[in-house]
Amino acid sequence: MHHVLVDQWSQRSSPLHARDPRAKILVLLVFLVALATTAPNAFPSLVIYAALLISGILIAGLPPGGMLLRSMAILPFSLIFGLITLLAGDRWRALGLVEKSYLSTLAVLLVVATTPLPRLLGGLEASGMPRLLVLMAQFLYRYLFVIAEQAQHIRLAAACRAGISRTHRQAKFRAAAGALAVLFARSYYRAEGIHRAMMSRSFRGRFALLNPLRFGWMDGYFAAGVVALLILARVQ
Amino acid sequence: MHIPDNFLSTPVWASLDAISIPAVGWMIKRAGRDLPDSRIPLLGVMGAFVFAAQMINFPVGAGTSGHLVGGALLACALGPAPAVLVMTTILIIQAFVFQDGGVLALGANVFNMAVAGVLAGYWPFQLWGAARRSAAIFAGGFLSVLVSGSLALAELLISGVRMPRLLVFISLGLFAVNAAIEGAITISVVQALDKLNPGFVQKPARSNSRVLIAVSTAGVLLGIVGFLLASGAPDAIQSLGQTLGMSTKANFQTPMANYSVGNFESAWLRRAAAGLTGLLLICGLCVAGARMIGRRRSA
Repeated sequence: MHHVLVDQWSQRSSPLHARDPRAKILVLLVFLVALATTAPNAFPSLVIYAALLISGILIAGLPPGGMLLRSMAILPFSLIFGLITLLAGDRWRALGLVEKSYLSTLAVLLVVATTPLPRLLGGLEASGMPRLLVLMAQFLYRYLFVIAEQAQHIRLAAACRAGISRTHRQAKFRAAAGALAVLFARSYYRAEGIHRAMMSRSFRGRFALLNPLRFGWMDGYFAAGVVALLILARVQ
Repeated sequence: MHIPDNFLSTPVWASLDAISIPAVGWMIKRAGRDLPDSRIPLLGVMGAFVFAAQMINFPVGAGTSGHLVGGALLACALGPAPAVLVMTTILIIQAFVFQDGGVLALGANVFNMAVAGVLAGYWPFQLWGAARRSAAIFAGGFLSVLVSGSLALAELLISGVRMPRLLVFISLGLFAVNAAIEGAITISVVQALDKLNPGFVQKPARSNSRVLIAVSTAGVLLGIVGFLLASGAPDAIQSLGQTLGMSTKANFQTPMANYSVGNFESAWLRRAAAGLTGLLLICGLCVAGARMIGRRRSA
């Protein structure tokens, strides 16, 4: 799965990785709002935003090529919409769709690639996201790859047994439904097993982080500095 | 159907964020009332299941294949409020981890797919689930995809994305086809689940869901109105967006130089505030109306 590499990037260490997730979330939100409210022809602001992101990538020691390529996943979608808008005669909006959606994707990717997901979710919880949602997101992320692998196995098994392309379509449809039902049932029972196992390891309804979150002076300086820069870039 | 950032105009995403946050909060409260702690891992793992279900392809003819979206299936199997939360969690993980759907547009995506989509998917099951189970489940899958798709389209049009009329028709037609596929997948998966263990998909709870019925009826109506409006008069939606100040088209075409920054800011803020209050008012009225109906019926 494509996320594994980003997950590895997020485990590295750099000044940006070391910042408290709350500071990064705050900066990300301010960045996205500033970007969303910038006119698409305000090029000086947009250049400053892009420069901020690129210096962030360099400070974090992430491969710039990989980051820029990875955020291009948004392009097929935004290029189609951009083209439609262009044909409708709204060229600034068309440009805005493409450039701004690319920059915001890159910004989210930069935060995720410098923050391991458990810490990011911890930061979200500390900034007010309900505990139930945080817990569900943590379970989801932990078991995503397990269940996805199980789905791969089921698909492979089905292909081995009935992979003939001339099988009747209706039969194939029913086979896929059966496979999905088996996956559903296995996930259901797995969840019961997980709960029993966690109870026996004295789980108290909260995942503990290995290093507790600490919002230090550096995090404060970082957040204040970047937010000030963003506001300056926005109103210049 | 995941709307990325910067596709919606600021008033639209801001007001949908402002609607989705209390809506999800209300669902957490509802789910928390009858959700033992032992179900929390189940909800997370079922979210992972919906993710993984995308890998299993259903042949739908003409060489293409579809996959489960899952809103209606989750609503029937887990109950509406937990299903809304599972879908919300999926969208959060998609937005952050996979950059699929924007972070600022998360409220819009949650509203379309988790809140309106799941409630619309549960609505037929709640009404006719006991008598005409298969038809209700099919209709649930159909409605959930159709409502989320047409809401997303309507939001894009309100934001001022200009689409030719033909394209709006084509995308609505595609939504309808996808919705029918989702209905077929949902019902055949439920039938297969019934063979495995009839306990997975239970009968709809009759007791405590008056409010929910009212809200989901409103959701379905909203989706259908959006669908009809978009198919009948896409231009009307766009001009509605402009009169409400929801469309940022004006911002894009006026060069910043013509205005002093302060002027620009306050005009923008005023329009944003007007749009936001309007939508909040509508949402508040809906919730208050639903509550009142719920109280009267249960009294």
